[in-house]
Amino acid sequence: MKSSKRTILGFLLACLAFVAMPVAAQAKPTITISGSTTVAPLATQLAKGYLKSKKCRKNGGCVKFKILQGGSDIGVADVSRGRVTLGMSSRIPKESDPGGIVFNEIAKDALCVATHTDNKINDMTQDQVQDVFSGAVRDWSDVPGSNLNGTVNVTIRTAASGTQDAFDKIFMAPKKTFSGASQKASNGLIEQQLQRDPLALGYLSLAFQKGVHIVNYKGVPCTLRAAKSGQYPGTRPLFLVSRGPASGASKKWINWIRNNKQALRIASSSWVPFK
Amino acid sequence: MDEQYLGIFDESEQASKEEHPTNRRVELMLGALASLVLVFIAGMVIFVFLKGLPSLTGNGISWFGGGGNVDEQLTNIFNSPAEPENYVYELSAFPLLWSTFLISFIAVCFATVISIFSSIFIVEFAPRPLERILEPVVKFLAAIPSVIYGLLGVLVLVPWINDTLITEEMRVSVRYVIQLDGTSVLAGVIILTIMILPIMIAIITDSLRAVPQVWREGALALGVNRWRALRTVSLRAIRPAIVAAAVLATARALGEAIMLAMVTGSIGFAPNPFDGFLFFLEPSRPLAATIIDGAEGLSVEPFGQTMYAFAFILIVSTGLLSFAGWAARKSLSRYSIGAK
Amino acid sequence: MSTTTTRKRKQEAVRQTRAARPKKIKSKDSWSIGDRIGVGLAWFFGLMLCLVAAAITLYMAWKGVSFVNWEIISTSPEASLEQSKTGGFLDPIIGTVLLTVIGAAIATPIGVAIAIWLTEYGRPAPLARFVEAGIEVIVGAPSIVLAIFGLLVFQQGFLSPFSFTAEGGAVFGRSFFAAGAVMSLIALPFVVGGTREALNSIPRHVREASYALGKDQASTIRRVLLPSSRSGIATGSTLGMAQIAGDTAVVVVLLGASLQISPEGDIPGLDVLKGTGSTLTSFVFQNSPAGEGNAPDKAYAAAFVLLLLVILLNLIVNLVTRKGKQVWG
Repeated sequence: MKSSKRTILGFLLACLAFVAMPVAAQAKPTITISGSTTVAPLATQLAKGYLKSKKCRKNGGCVKFKILQGGSDIGVADVSRGRVTLGMSSRIPKESDPGGIVFNEIAKDALCVATHTDNKINDMTQDQVQDVFSGAVRDWSDVPGSNLNGTVNVTIRTAASGTQDAFDKIFMAPKKTFSGASQKASNGLIEQQLQRDPLALGYLSLAFQKGVHIVNYKGVPCTLRAAKSGQYPGTRPLFLVSRGPASGASKKWINWIRNNKQALRIASSSWVPFK
Repeated sequence: MDEQYLGIFDESEQASKEEHPTNRRVELMLGALASLVLVFIAGMVIFVFLKGLPSLTGNGISWFGGGGNVDEQLTNIFNSPAEPENYVYELSAFPLLWSTFLISFIAVCFATVISIFSSIFIVEFAPRPLERILEPVVKFLAAIPSVIYGLLGVLVLVPWINDTLITEEMRVSVRYVIQLDGTSVLAGVIILTIMILPIMIAIITDSLRAVPQVWREGALALGVNRWRALRTVSLRAIRPAIVAAAVLATARALGEAIMLAMVTGSIGFAPNPFDGFLFFLEPSRPLAATIIDGAEGLSVEPFGQTMYAFAFILIVSTGLLSFAGWAARKSLSRYSIGAK
Repeated sequence: MSTTTTRKRKQEAVRQTRAARPKKIKSKDSWSIGDRIGVGLAWFFGLMLCLVAAAITLYMAWKGVSFVNWEIISTSPEASLEQSKTGGFLDPIIGTVLLTVIGAAIATPIGVAIAIWLTEYGRPAPLARFVEAGIEVIVGAPSIVLAIFGLLVFQQGFLSPFSFTAEGGAVFGRSFFAAGAVMSLIALPFVVGGTREALNSIPRHVREASYALGKDQASTIRRVLLPSSRSGIATGSTLGMAQIAGDTAVVVVLLGASLQISPEGDIPGLDVLKGTGSTLTSFVFQNSPAGEGNAPDKAYAAAFVLLLLVILLNLIVNLVTRKGKQVWG
């Protein structure tokens, strides 16, 4: 190799070494968390809040958090094998989940029915929701309260999603969602669809309300206050999963999340807090 | 007299290849390395196979058939009870298989044609400054993550298809079966073509450049014009490379998950060719996209096994594709440049 | 009188030269319609390619460049509910560079070695076919399957030095090592493909000349064939790095997609490799509508920076493998 090329390669290797040398970590009890991408933002916020809280600052920093993602599924699998301390799950425990794990609820999420901003429909009863989402009613002109005409584009989440599971159980039971409905992989994509397609109809988590029109359900608006007071019926729980009952540092943290005012305030920014 | 010379070359080649111990050692080392990689890959294939087997055996040959609603079946599998005896496996995966085949095949056909012409353009006809820009641009296109292609599709292409190509009467005509909202086979094919173009263009331009100058000069000296010289000499010579590029591109198309999940509608529906133009506007979902959509549910035993079964089918298809590519290249290599 | 004769002679000379010059063929076209269409299509598709590439780049630039500033590139990402407080994406940038370099560094030598074995040796033939098929199978498997398999492998006890072990004794399995190893697997087929095509385009007489001069096969490969296939190796390597930079599934599953790089252990340098992190691609995924994030502007800015990084990496590879035009005529 020519010497100029050797120097370039050497420079690159040096850069690599330089980039890979940050400060070494200190030792503290570590809470490792992995799992649902829905719960991850909440968990990260709560972790940050906990580290800033008086309890932790008094002891000079009490715990170290390591938060990863990977999906509810990987979270549950990891926690049941002991690879992580806590798992994050946005789906209700199923029978087929591994044994020995405990689902600790830390907050709730509300599901709102939403449409495009052109669609001025104000309120939908459960029957109406079931009719449209199951495909029995296919045209907006047949839906009372809507000012549009045209085929409804029903948008739901994918089959394996915890949110879809919750929607089915809370809103749709015993009917099934329309088999031809468009499936999207995340809240963001449904929001995207609702923003672009005037004929679309879907459901979103409480935190995703930008640029769409939220429909009242059973006469109750889908807001944080209504969900907190229990008036709004469409809520589902978010969990931190532990192996056996929570203990040690994780138990302290979960108690803090459930009881501390600061924690409840953090949770209420986009979710429904525990209390 | 020619035979004499050929004999000398044969002998020296044989002597070069066999008598030197270093050569043998190098061959063994390289072979060992290749085998090691093969063992790892074989391990993965066996893992996927074993994990996916219950789904295949639970259905038998009807796994490949059609008839049911795939999404409903997948939901049932996801919700199966916890006891292993009661696991639900029923699946008729034809819509997914048809969708995978359709989207990948059409995309690769388009990509092959476009990449051949583009490569010719880059190597022969492009003005120098344009050529200097185009080559890095092509390689840069290959690096765009599939998420971004997916976003481009969702933000630009899908709404455009929804507003421009889909009319209300089209929607009404399929109203009780599926929805037309822009996510469609067409959107998937367009973006998939753009995604696999760079792979093919990069390999084909390299091969075009490597065609010996004398071959083309000979053709030109015979009075053939530039285009004909290219077509009859260079393109013929690089046919094995085109096949190799096409195989790599098809494999990439088969494995593309995230972009297709976002852009083709994520419904397990088999588009019906007899619907005419509507056919391209219908949503569907290929195998890889199904796997990525179901990634959240892998720990539910039967559901995970179904996903692994999908992966196994993809792997087998790619393996068959690779063998087919090798057979095609072998028959084409008589007129090509290289050694064997 | 002499002037008239000279003029006449000059005119005669000119007439004769003109007559001697071959007449211009006044045919209507020397290119048939088919050929013209061919050239036309080549120009059409070539220009369309330029347009599409320009459109994509400009769109991403338009969406993202207004948010790219020095601050965003140099601060670490923070978790926050307000976009203004979410910090930058320094850690994802480091993650992308690290992963791409590790993956390419592992894949290139192994890929070149395998390609050499496939084209030059390749005995026994069935083994060679299976190796080739196996390598192409990697391209066809969705990267999430590769990631899950990689996770399974790296969660085995004997690989625990490559990630970290939780209190329960279970191996975590997620780290830069693990992700880098699987990423190199993803890049491998492209390196093999590019190198193989380059080696196959070297004419037979070059090898014969080398043997005739008394070199054995191994040194022919090393001294004659490899240097001339540099452009093919570079192409394969660049394509491979492109696949690495653009991959999300492996990052989410094998690297943890944690917001910041969290090193593991005490040895500087090694602790980052054993720790988890994220890349620009996973950052884009999480913050775009495809993920759960609510910061699409940052996502587009990150996408733009990613593309700049890729251009930079490509330039570096080109510089290192530059050579003059190889003529085998």
